[in-house]
Amino acid sequence: MNATKLAKSSAVGTAVLERTFKEKLLTPVLIGVCFLLLTLENISFRPIKLLKSLVNDVITYSAFIINLPVNFTADTTKSFFEFLNFNIHQENKILKDQVNKLISEKNELLFFKNENDNLKRTLGIKNQGEYAALLVKVIKEDTSEFGKSFSITKGSSENLELGQAVVRNNIYLGRISEVNYLSSKVMIVTDAGSRIPIVIPSKGVNAILKGDGYSNAELLFLPTSANLDNNDQIYTSGTDGIIKEGLYVGKVIVKEDKNKKKKYSIDLGFKEHQLNYVSVLKLKR
Amino acid sequence: MKNFFEKIRFYIPHLLILIVIANDSLLINTWIAPGPIINLKYILLFYFCLYQPDRISVISLFFLGLVFDSLQSTPLGMTSLCFIVASKLIYFLKKKRTQANFQNEFISFGIVLAAVQILTLIIFNYFSKTSPEYSLIVINIILTLALYPLFRYILQFFFRYQI
Repeated sequence: MNATKLAKSSAVGTAVLERTFKEKLLTPVLIGVCFLLLTLENISFRPIKLLKSLVNDVITYSAFIINLPVNFTADTTKSFFEFLNFNIHQENKILKDQVNKLISEKNELLFFKNENDNLKRTLGIKNQGEYAALLVKVIKEDTSEFGKSFSITKGSSENLELGQAVVRNNIYLGRISEVNYLSSKVMIVTDAGSRIPIVIPSKGVNAILKGDGYSNAELLFLPTSANLDNNDQIYTSGTDGIIKEGLYVGKVIVKEDKNKKKKYSIDLGFKEHQLNYVSVLKLKR
Repeated sequence: MKNFFEKIRFYIPHLLILIVIANDSLLINTWIAPGPIINLKYILLFYFCLYQPDRISVISLFFLGLVFDSLQSTPLGMTSLCFIVASKLIYFLKKKRTQANFQNEFISFGIVLAAVQILTLIIFNYFSKTSPEYSLIVINIILTLALYPLFRYILQFFFRYQI
């Protein structure tokens, strides 16, 4: 005690105390803080949740700024290679043909949609709740051994909630897994923890789609009698009551092993790392 | 001005780790392989803690860990704890080794990486509602170890530190 008092009384002593703290006490103190943060987060302590939300917002937007040079380099490289594409005239012709074909298909679909609505009205079947799409920008994508997600620019300030589906051009990408005030995290369908109820309408089969943690997904709880074919379309079934039904997920790819037993893999309807803008589907109330 | 550049030079390890943490997936997993393949942050941490221990402070590791946890939606404090434990383990292994050669360095890196990933799994089991995919973690450890010599060579090319 006397030694401490003596140490405090001089500048050299203060320096020695500071050094002792740095060398001996700092690490245990920081480890203690880590455990405290982990415990408080685990018991859903509200102030910690708010603090985490605030910290997440600041860090997410800061990471966006840090990423700017990297993104700029990646975009410039991509643009340069696109500029070097000498088949652009040919591609333009093909795309024009595809657009015309899609317009005619869209008109046909509109006809079937109206017919479907009329039949539902006649049979007295109620539609699922109406959904509103909110366009958001993707700040950054995160891939690690613990999960695959991306951050978006809207959060609880725009009434985003956990579990809401995120789509692009009506293709299911994932669901909201974390909501902060000004940003949110979306768990991609390929995340190892992602599980969504799906339906394969052409075969009348329901199953669960589970991400494999890399860049694909697999079908779980598929009925043993199910006999799927190549290019069978997969849609969300909406049986969980949160994700809208009928969102396109991907198509089935069938491979046969040595014993001619069918193995199914999924060709998802989107490519990761190419997402700029996506839409969040909010249930209208 | 010279002072300013000296300071920048001093903080290069922090900046590098921060950039890697912020771009972890973009830099490695997007451009090299489509998945959570390697842990570049632990390679950098190991390299700088081994060759330039004075440059990486425990406080900075704590905050870098928090940034990573926040970005990856992992339990807050998990990566900070892993970073601190890893740095202390590296200092300990450095003290205990008898010869400074690549073999010892590689084995030390393997021990540190395995210890950190086991610690991560324990924290996940106790403090998180989601469970990680074990096969991914094993692949991550193996590939990070396999690519360590390459990144070590690159780092030594830019930072010729002496032990």
